[in-house]
Amino acid sequence: MLPADCSRRLVAELRDALDACAERQRQLERSLRVSRRLLRTWEPAETPAPQPTPAPETSGEAPSPESTPSPQDLKELELLTQALEKAVRVRKGISKTGERHKALSLKSGSAATSATTASAPSRASSQASCRVSETKPPRGIQQTVVPARGLPECRLLSVGDRTRMGRGSRATKPGPGPRDQQIPPSAALQAPEAFTLKEKGILLRLPMAYRKAASRNSRLWAQLSSTQTSDSVDAAATAKTQFLQKMQMTSGGPGSGLSAAAMEAEVGLLRTACLLLRRRMEEVLSADPADCMQEYRCLLTLEGLQAITEQCLHRLQELRAAVVGQQLGPWPVGRRPGASLPCGGGTDPIWSPQLLLYSSTQELQTLEALRLRVAMLDQQIHLEKVLMAELLPLVGTQGPHWLALCRAVHSLLCEGGERFLTVLRDEPAD
Amino acid sequence: MAAAARNPRKVSASCMGRRRRRVDRGAAVGALPEAIAALSRTLPAGPSPEIFRRAKFDRPEAAPALWQLLFRVLSPLSANGASAPPAQEAQVRVVKSELHSQGYPRRALAQLPEDGSQGSRELLLALAWLLARGPLLERLLAQTRVRLGDEIPLCECEALARPGPPVPRVEADGPVDVRHLQWLMGKLRFQWRKLITSQQEQCALLGKIHSYTRGCHSDRSLGHLSVAETELLRDAEGGQQLLRRLESENVRLEAALHWRRQELVFWRWMDTVLGTCPPEASQPTFVPRIPERGAGEWELVARELQALQEELRGAAEPRRAAWEARVGGWGPEWSAVRRASREAVGLELAALQRAWERGGAAAQPHGPCRLVKSDAGASGGPGLRAAQAIEVLRSREACLEAVLCQLQRQCRQELARLAGALPGLIWILPPGR
Repeated sequence: MLPADCSRRLVAELRDALDACAERQRQLERSLRVSRRLLRTWEPAETPAPQPTPAPETSGEAPSPESTPSPQDLKELELLTQALEKAVRVRKGISKTGERHKALSLKSGSAATSATTASAPSRASSQASCRVSETKPPRGIQQTVVPARGLPECRLLSVGDRTRMGRGSRATKPGPGPRDQQIPPSAALQAPEAFTLKEKGILLRLPMAYRKAASRNSRLWAQLSSTQTSDSVDAAATAKTQFLQKMQMTSGGPGSGLSAAAMEAEVGLLRTACLLLRRRMEEVLSADPADCMQEYRCLLTLEGLQAITEQCLHRLQELRAAVVGQQLGPWPVGRRPGASLPCGGGTDPIWSPQLLLYSSTQELQTLEALRLRVAMLDQQIHLEKVLMAELLPLVGTQGPHWLALCRAVHSLLCEGGERFLTVLRDEPAD
Repeated sequence: MAAAARNPRKVSASCMGRRRRRVDRGAAVGALPEAIAALSRTLPAGPSPEIFRRAKFDRPEAAPALWQLLFRVLSPLSANGASAPPAQEAQVRVVKSELHSQGYPRRALAQLPEDGSQGSRELLLALAWLLARGPLLERLLAQTRVRLGDEIPLCECEALARPGPPVPRVEADGPVDVRHLQWLMGKLRFQWRKLITSQQEQCALLGKIHSYTRGCHSDRSLGHLSVAETELLRDAEGGQQLLRRLESENVRLEAALHWRRQELVFWRWMDTVLGTCPPEASQPTFVPRIPERGAGEWELVARELQALQEELRGAAEPRRAAWEARVGGWGPEWSAVRRASREAVGLELAALQRAWERGGAAAQPHGPCRLVKSDAGASGGPGLRAAQAIEVLRSREACLEAVLCQLQRQCRQELARLAGALPGLIWILPPGR
């Protein structure tokens, strides 16, 4: 058994690492659930149909000069869609008996329908004419409900069509294909079929409200991130510095005290320094000097590295001495001793994300796998250092079950816990 | 530099006489509540300008709102969670400890009572101190940013700087066997494998979603929809929520820009607030004490640097001796060459030092990136290319693997040394990788 305090520290470290991993897994599972659901068939929503979008522009026609619907319009539109779906259900109920009724409404609605379809600006004319036969029945009802609302109607057209197109086109090729006109009118009254991203994803369009908000959002972020200096910005910066100085002066404490956060940051920098110095040292030691001057350079580099290392150690001692304790208040808890951070926070942080272009799923997978591997190595290195600090001294002092401990420690520290060595007792042959 | 250019304006203002100054003050009176209102709109749980005014006079009724504000500002992630905000005392403690760890200079804050009933002026000063020190508002906005795209963080510093939600954990108080540690390590290894597999699946799904929604996005540089955007089209209610969050973020962003234009009047006012405070008595110096966690980190780095120093000395001294022995008799014609070498090495080492002092290579991509599937990879245009990012990550991976190998080698040597003390045993190492 390991001593209690050592056990506590090590178990805490390992559990921290496990928690961090578990947190990543949780977030990933959340994203996976969402993605899987998107790629399955979309359930037809119980709530009113999703925000109607302008018709797809894949046909290459000029976008219609539609006015953007106000929230009021959208609300009314939702009500209309509800009424429409209800009407469809009612229709289905009476369609079996009332074929003749339908024919009559078809005729009556035809004139008005052609007018409205003609006014549907963003629909290709051929497509509209093909679809007239299918859209007539609901249109007939529509006429009685709402007399002349050109805009919402053409929106409904697009919503209704989106779902009907799914049924109509047999081919998996995206885009509105030629209508299958053999579909009997009764079929047109069925509830809209489910939507799959694979087949119809390319037809989706984002709602106008979202588009506006998103573009405004990116514009505002760009403004916020711009580091333009102007008179007012400079004046504010000066005022801020002066304020901080005054704060420091009016406070009673020693001005040169180092905050815990600042010390952590510096210790982090020195850790990075150690890493880089060591890497350079190994480069120099593994190089084969070809001539005298190169040998001299190697020597100078090693001595220079030694001098810098001493400076770093000196700085470390200074840090220790400079941190001011405090009698009141708890120390900040929950700060994770992070692994090496070569980024160092960045002097010019970018507040909104840049774009990262990838060309294939394979590339994306490679990128993500590497990213996780780097994070895992970071964690492994940190754990290795902690384990070394705690376990090596224990092996140094011989106690009971020393051999078993030695073997276990060797496996943990030298093989990452994956392999074990074998210890044989060398019995002298008699 | 630019201060000189601004002085003439100030001089002329004072020269113009009292009337001009009165007009200025009049303009300032209206501008201050406006500026504070803008600041409030940007902050989470921002109090009204009236609270700020009362805080200047240290009114107790202003204190609770300011405690809450500082708590939200200093620990944004715990406030983001679904759990209810902690009790008043806990909030006060967190605010105090966070401010202390960031180096807040005034002692009066630490002495405020924990029931949160007093100290509004001190809290106002603390808020101003945080605002003055760095881009606080931008950082807060970035942390709670609405994520519209599929993002991948290219460097892990965000993940590390942000401690996860504190997990209530029963500490294993008793001593454990080393086998328990081995078991935990194995569990960790397995978790990572699972994580990598799940991530690969997510990438495949993302690739599909991006392909299937080609050409749907209004923004041509993006080209396809992200998961959030597709989800918004699938689920109307969720989409409305997203839209609302986006719009409220826009309001906050505009408020932040408004604040930036007007903040000077706030700083002038804060000077007066500071003026109303009684000066703090100078305190006796405390005994230096290093935080427990920090001590561990410090120890590790100190040990590493010392080990490095030993190795360097071991490498450099014999070489120096050998060199002196060889070159001892060489004439002055070599001195110029030697000087050139010294200068060259000096420059190299200076560059090396800059690498960590300035916080690393600026060329490294930093922060989260929005994933965009695009065939036009080779052509120029905004955005990073995945191939480049992969290269950077590969070199980092190689570097870290080297570090890990080196540590393991050190351990092997140390253990061999310790085991060598016991004769009569044969150590058979496991087969190499």
